[in-house]
Parts: sequence; C-alpha cells; structure tokens
Amino acid sequence: MLTIAHSELIQIFRDRSALITSLIMPVAASAFFIYYRDGFARIGSLGYIAAVLVFTIAAFSLYATVVTTLAARRQNLFLKRLRSTAATDPAILSGLVLPVSVIALVQVGLILVAFSVVSGAPANIPLLLVAIAATFVMMLALGMATAGLTNSSERAQITTLPLSLVTIAVANWVGITGTESFTVLKRLLPGGSATELVIHSWNGGAPIGDSLLLVAPTLAWVAVAIVLAARLFRWEPRR
Amino acid sequence: MGPLTDGSAAAPDRGLLDGGTSSRPVIEVEALNVTYGDFRAVKDLSFQVRRGELYALLGTNGAGKTSALEVIEGHRRASSGTVRVFGKSPTDRAAVRPRMGIMLQESGFAADLTVAESVRLIGRLTGRSDTVKRVLGVVDLTSKTNTRVAQLSGGEKRRLDFATAVFGRPELIILDEPTTGLDIQSRDALWEAVDQLREDGSTVILTTHYLEEAQQRADRIGLMHQGTFWHQGTVAELTRTLPASIQFTLPVGAPAPPLDTTPADEGAQIIETYELQRELKRLLDWAEVNGVELVDLSAAPTRLDDVFRAIDTAPEHS
Repeated sequence: MLTIAHSELIQIFRDRSALITSLIMPVAASAFFIYYRDGFARIGSLGYIAAVLVFTIAAFSLYATVVTTLAARRQNLFLKRLRSTAATDPAILSGLVLPVSVIALVQVGLILVAFSVVSGAPANIPLLLVAIAATFVMMLALGMATAGLTNSSERAQITTLPLSLVTIAVANWVGITGTESFTVLKRLLPGGSATELVIHSWNGGAPIGDSLLLVAPTLAWVAVAIVLAARLFRWEPRR
Repeated sequence: MGPLTDGSAAAPDRGLLDGGTSSRPVIEVEALNVTYGDFRAVKDLSFQVRRGELYALLGTNGAGKTSALEVIEGHRRASSGTVRVFGKSPTDRAAVRPRMGIMLQESGFAADLTVAESVRLIGRLTGRSDTVKRVLGVVDLTSKTNTRVAQLSGGEKRRLDFATAVFGRPELIILDEPTTGLDIQSRDALWEAVDQLREDGSTVILTTHYLEEAQQRADRIGLMHQGTFWHQGTVAELTRTLPASIQFTLPVGAPAPPLDTTPADEGAQIIETYELQRELKRLLDWAEVNGVELVDLSAAPTRLDDVFRAIDTAPEHS
C-alpha cells in the first residue's frame, strides 16, 4: 500500500491541474471565508464558517480529487496494471487514496487551526474530530462511487459537480438557517447532520445528547456512501 | 535488448519453488465458460500448459482468447469451469502473482512516473526481487531511465511493459500481443530475451496476430474460433489438417499428369495433397519420363496462415 501511495504522491505533485484542484483552490476559498469571517459570522456563526471550511476541503481536496484520480487511473489501465501484481484490491485502493486523504486532512487541520487562532478555539474538539472523520470517510466513499460512474478524468469535472455543490449548499443552508425549520429534511440530506455537528462542536452550548443524536444520521450517510462505493466502483473501463 | 542474465539477481530455483511437483501442468483449464449477459465469449474450453512450454493462444477477432486469457491472469472470474495456475486459483494473487509476469495488451502506466519509477513500483508489487538497472538493460531502455512514461514512443512503452513482466524472472510469463508496435530489431531482441527465459525454465503463454511468430516459437498452439478450440496441437499437427499444394503450368499439347489436379488462374494447375514429398516425386518422375517441362513449378507446405484462413470457410459452431 505504501509503495502505491508513494508513487501516487509523486504523480500528484507532478500534475499541475491536480495540484490546483486539490491544494490551491480549497486553500484560496478557505482564506476568503476566514478573511471575511465577521461578515459570515453575522449571517450564521463561527461554527457555520468552520462547517463551510470542512466541506470545502472535503468536496474539492478530497472528493473531486479522488474521483479524478480513480477515473484517470482506470481509464489508462493503471488500475489493471496494479491488479496484475500481487497487491490486493484493498491495498491498491488504499494506496491510491491515501495521499489525497492525508493532504486533505492536513489542509483541514491547518485551516481550522488558522481559523481558531483568529476567531477563538472550538468548544468541543473531540466532537469536531468525529464530525470531520465522518465527513471525510463519507466523501471518500462517495468519491469511489462517483468514480464508478465517471469514464474519464475530463468527465470528473462534470460528475463531481452535483455532490460537491449539494454538500456545500446543505452546509450553507443548515449553517445560515439552523435546523429549527425542516429539521428532519436538513438532517437527512448528505452532510446536513455533519454540518450541525461541526457547528455544535465549534460554538458549544448544545446539550451533548442533542449532538450525539446527530451522530446517527451522520454515520448512516457514511454507511450509505460505503455501500454505494462497493456497488458502483469499477476497476476496468466499460467495454 | 541486453542479456537477461547478468548475475545481479539470482534466478529462482524452479524445482524448489514448485515444491517438487514439476510434473503438474503450470496452467490447467477445465470446461471454462465466460459469458457476458447472453453472449458466451468462451465455451467449454479445456487445455493445459506444461512447464517450460511456449503455448500460443491464437484466434480470429472475437474468438474469446482475451476473455480466456483474462481468467488465466486472474483479471476476470470464470462463469463456470475451473482454471488453476500453479495448482491455485489465479485470483489468489498472493500465491500466484509472485511467480507470474503479465505483459498486458495495452500499456497502463502512469504518464507522470519515470521509466525507473514505473519498473520499481510494479516490480516491488510483484513480490519478486530484481534490479531496475538489469531489467531496463534487458529491454534496452537504460538511456530512458529518468524519462517520464508520457514521453515514450509506443514501442518503448511495449518494451517497458515487457520489462515489468520479466522483473525477477517469473516462472510463468503471459505475453499478450507482445510485439505489436515494435520495430523488427526490438522484436528480435524481445524474442531473444524470451528464449533466454525459457532456457532458465520459464513457461510462456502468448497471444499474437503475427502468425509467423507463433509458427516459429510455439511448442503448441490453441487456435480459437467462436469461443472454443478450432484446433489444438503442435504446428505440425495443425498444418497436417490441411493439404499442401503443388502448382505448375503444362505446356500446350502435354499429356495429362497421373494426379488429380484442379485448374487455377492463367492455365495453372494445382495438386492438393497430404503427402507432399511422395506426390511431388511422383509428378517429377512422370514429367521426366514423358519429357514434360513443368512451367513455374512450386510446392508449398501448409502454413499456419492457411489453417487460420480455413476458419472462415468452416461451418459455424453451434
């Protein structure tokens, strides 16, 4: 797995478009939100900004890059090449997504640290870590599923848009309007309950029981994403 | 391409690797079926490949050889039937792949990795030990060590593919159209490297559209058509299924020869025979006794191409 991850890391740093998508764009977007944090905090809260930061990184750095990477590696038969060796399928997949996942985790860590430096530390760090972990696993699995529906790295620019936009829109909707209205709908949408978890963990003040209640739909989305990945992911191009 | 053996990595002891069961075929295919929906790509295919053998799996386009090969490689599961490689399921990668090198039909390399990085990556994942330097020397790509794959020509990518297949001198090498896109020098060099591997005891399974390569190199050939074997055997056994031909033109007024002839273009006559030497001698003796000059006389043994072409005229398999 580490051999594949090492070669994947080399490829990411040699591919300018991948670098821009996975590193520069999310960091630039995050810097924008942090810079105008007072304005965004007025329409939502600091927790809302934290949630948008998490989902921006998860959507662009992780999800879109995973889809692009897997579709490209399948399209040029690199996946088949790797499967011609003694490496197992889980080791191959793990090796391919490990660098992207680590880069995204480091990004979100650094960006949230920077955000906490200028706006104050989150109220419940363990809860925040749970929310980030669940969000990343969900987006990673959804990335594998979407890659199964994506024939090429070029098509990934289109196929990743719906889910990226939906999750960021849900984060904004929940973050700005709260969950007093359309509570069930907001919590059942992809990323809805995870957004609320991030907001609770950052702002504090919510009863722990309410927060734990949000873990269930968050983990349910993780499970759904994993099932979709298992059903939709393909190792070889369509004939 | 350079020598395959330079002492930098010891060749494996085949007897020890085999656990003393060297009489067992390396590949055993029994009643293999591969279906895609309602379409049966492979139908009840059975054959074995013995240790040290070069077995050529040939066939017309869509004959099912790629599907069969993919099952043997472990890339596809059989719809029914069994395939064993070294006595194991080919999907048992941990058991089979360290002993098997695969040269795919299409490259499948990462464009942004260098040649050395590509060989190192695939080499490490095979579980075999070897050096990048030696393997690149075998395929004459040493000068391209630090070149990115994206910058290689099609022929160089095929040679890189071959390099990863022979990394660590595997006991079994699967070559899927290995010489497509190679110039004649690279082809010769590749076959030289394959010969060297076979001298070391490797078993080779080959698919190719270049029939002369199969005719020259293969110990046995499986000729597929419509998902199953049309013929299987040595080149001699396959070519024996069709008559050889003797062609000549008789001068005006010459008597008829004592053999059955069929007319061909421009007054030529053809004798089709399964006993070329005897019939040719008989014709020549007759011509000498009768003082007949056989104009444009030629005698041609049956070639693999002829067997291949005969498939087109054959009735369809049910």
